[in-house]
Amino acid sequence: MTQFGTWQPKIRGRLFYNWPCGTCEEALRFISPVQLGSKPYDVAIVGAGVVGCALAYRLSMYDLRVLLVERLHDVGEGTSKANSALIHTGYDAKPGTLESELLREAAAYWPDLAARLKIPLDPIGGIMMAVTDEQERQLEVAKKNAYANRATDVSILSAAEVREREPNASSDVCGGLLVPRESMIDPFMASIAYAEVALVNGIDLLLGVDIAGVELGQALHHLITADGHRLPACRIVNAAGLGSRRLADGYGGGAFDINPRRGQFVLFDQSARSLVRHILLPVPTVNTKGVLVSPTIFGNLLVGPTAEDLPLDDPEAAHTTLEGIRRVIEGGSCLVSGLTEQPVVATYAGARCACNQGSYVIRYNDGAPGLVTLTGVRSTGLTASISLARHLIDGMQKELGLELSPDIEALDTRPESAWPGWWRRPFANDTVDARVDHGCVVCFCEVISEGEIRDALDSPLKPRTMDALKRRTRSMMGRCQGFDCQVPLAEIMSSHTGITISQLTKNGPGSELVAPSQRAFTA
Amino acid sequence: MSNAQHFKVAIIGGGPAGIGVAVGLAKRGVGPVVLIERRTEIGGTPMGYRKKPGGVPTFVEWTRGRVVFGEELAGRLAKRLALTDTAIRLSTQVTKIDPAEKRLTLLGQEGVCDITADAVVLTAGAREQTPAEKGWLAGARTSRVGFTRHLTGWLDGHGLLPARKPVVVGSDLIAYSAAAKMRDAGSDEPVMIDQRRGPSAGLFERFFFRRWTRPDWPGGVTAVEIKGDRYFVGIKSNDGKEWPGDGVIICGELVPNTELALLGGLAVELPSRQLQLARGQALSQPGWFAAGNVLGGFHGAQWCYFNGRRVARTVSHFL
Repeated sequence: MTQFGTWQPKIRGRLFYNWPCGTCEEALRFISPVQLGSKPYDVAIVGAGVVGCALAYRLSMYDLRVLLVERLHDVGEGTSKANSALIHTGYDAKPGTLESELLREAAAYWPDLAARLKIPLDPIGGIMMAVTDEQERQLEVAKKNAYANRATDVSILSAAEVREREPNASSDVCGGLLVPRESMIDPFMASIAYAEVALVNGIDLLLGVDIAGVELGQALHHLITADGHRLPACRIVNAAGLGSRRLADGYGGGAFDINPRRGQFVLFDQSARSLVRHILLPVPTVNTKGVLVSPTIFGNLLVGPTAEDLPLDDPEAAHTTLEGIRRVIEGGSCLVSGLTEQPVVATYAGARCACNQGSYVIRYNDGAPGLVTLTGVRSTGLTASISLARHLIDGMQKELGLELSPDIEALDTRPESAWPGWWRRPFANDTVDARVDHGCVVCFCEVISEGEIRDALDSPLKPRTMDALKRRTRSMMGRCQGFDCQVPLAEIMSSHTGITISQLTKNGPGSELVAPSQRAFTA
Repeated sequence: MSNAQHFKVAIIGGGPAGIGVAVGLAKRGVGPVVLIERRTEIGGTPMGYRKKPGGVPTFVEWTRGRVVFGEELAGRLAKRLALTDTAIRLSTQVTKIDPAEKRLTLLGQEGVCDITADAVVLTAGAREQTPAEKGWLAGARTSRVGFTRHLTGWLDGHGLLPARKPVVVGSDLIAYSAAAKMRDAGSDEPVMIDQRRGPSAGLFERFFFRRWTRPDWPGGVTAVEIKGDRYFVGIKSNDGKEWPGDGVIICGELVPNTELALLGGLAVELPSRQLQLARGQALSQPGWFAAGNVLGGFHGAQWCYFNGRRVARTVSHFL
């Protein structure tokens, strides 16, 4: 039997939080670049979203010195955390584009990749549902498009066939396109698993470090942090997502405009899960793919997203609005009846990094030799992350003279025990026998035990914020949204790490769970 | 599992209502009875309101015209429970129910086991509505947006005041007691935001807490957004008014903890999560009953206890 939390590999990389004294263990604190060694990095990746993490994971298979720098305080905490949690087959991409090619390649990788990295994935398949005659005519177009993308396993369904597969489908349904292999995934675990393996394989990870600029040199560049530290690297990959424009300005990167597109989602309780059997997709319009209804791998039902174009640097890009939530539920109700009677657990919003110059914009030697700009990775980024990383490495070999020699020690898997989560549900008696704290439930809604929390805190990519812990364990994600468990979890985190309760944060310094006493307020 | 331990009655939840059922059954000589509590101590929600000399007496018992601390009240009930022969399983969660077989799957420090019973009483209590459930709160997901349970946890458990310039969402008795608690601990006068035209707490309740707090009451708002990036900075109504602050406490408006019943297949109304009740607080399957705040609404500990006692009578008739 595999034990929870028994994965204690030799971690060859270094993980540091750029946090003030006392907010995490001293050994995890980033104080000066000396901690990273004096040798310059072969590749520095700015942005630890799902794409940055996937690139780090792929690069960690080679004998290279790689640095992954993130402004936020966990991996995948920006755009990557708020999406529709799906792995696409790419049937609806524009044929012939890089996006379509990458999606097709990734769709083939995913089942094996998910099994190796222990990322929960369930290929339940999707149905694109037409609810008007006009939409029904478009199904044929969508099918042709899918064939052009070599997704030849799609098939058109009649209204009766859709209803047979989806008894709760809206009464307006007049046809559908069955898309096998569309899968639901744990969206958080993708970034975490990539980064964890990369860290074990020896990449260095800096969290909470904002890159203020780039100092260009002949063969060696330096990333300048907001605190004035200089981090030397021969090659720099700008994978900063919504921040990629600002970073590109720092090294004179070419012209592109980012246009954040907000997507709001509504998450329904587990009782709603039985409403659907597939991922239900609307027929897309010119502007948007529309509001989809999808079960989640955790047994909830997810409806969304909206698509709202926002100005760059809108501080409210990840805020929900009542109007948006209403539109999501309205959109979902077009596909499924009975949605409005279901209890809502949470609402959230994320901003996708849409680029006016097209999707998946990649520029090598952008502004200066050795710099790579990657932007316009939209909602398909989670799916394409793995093939995009492969594509980038190929490109860097060709364009940047990156030389690769395999690292023979590198791991390419995470063991079963790596994830102290619901992976091995239901609880078995022997797990509880082995460690009593695996029988002490702290998160009642999702049934997460104290032992799992402690295991997560000890995992290679050590979470030190409540949000990071939440994404690893699912605690506080259930229907009570932390009503019962937030305080006990903070107590466990505090006792396990030595951080005092008043220093614990939701997502990094500034977001303390209790108001700092020093803060002066002007009403 | 065939070797499931069998009880006459199983009670899910060790708050005032659960204790009431256990005491009531013991008085009628019904046994053996098991009481399952997921937290580490008996007493339920009132237990979180610690007794502190000079502190704000929150979670008050009104019935006899006296005011006591929640902890004191729960302690008194727990003593009554200790006089009975009820088997108590602490730190044990019911993870699954089979309504037809009256079988419960338990997870605790001893591992996973099944028990069966002739009758089951659900006394799982209630929790506060989340912002998403309220339906009139949107905006950012920042830190320092918490519930009353967090307030008592931080303040009574750790001596930490979660907000110095608080915004209280809700206006019932719980909201007023939360405001009083924070004020007593040194916060500014809270702003109280609710959809209602007037506060939902009664005149007498508001008067009681006047000693500690007279919250700013800007009047009914129709919709508000939480402002802030990573931490809370204020709340803004859809007509443009803003109230700055450094933390929100979401109070009151309880949602019954009926997920076991819902996922187990007992009749539950959605989206309110209310149990469908028959005569004598019986549920949709024979042998299943409910008592206390899990019925919905908002009741004090004393009411829940006596409600539990009453259900015990129904249960013993059923048996």
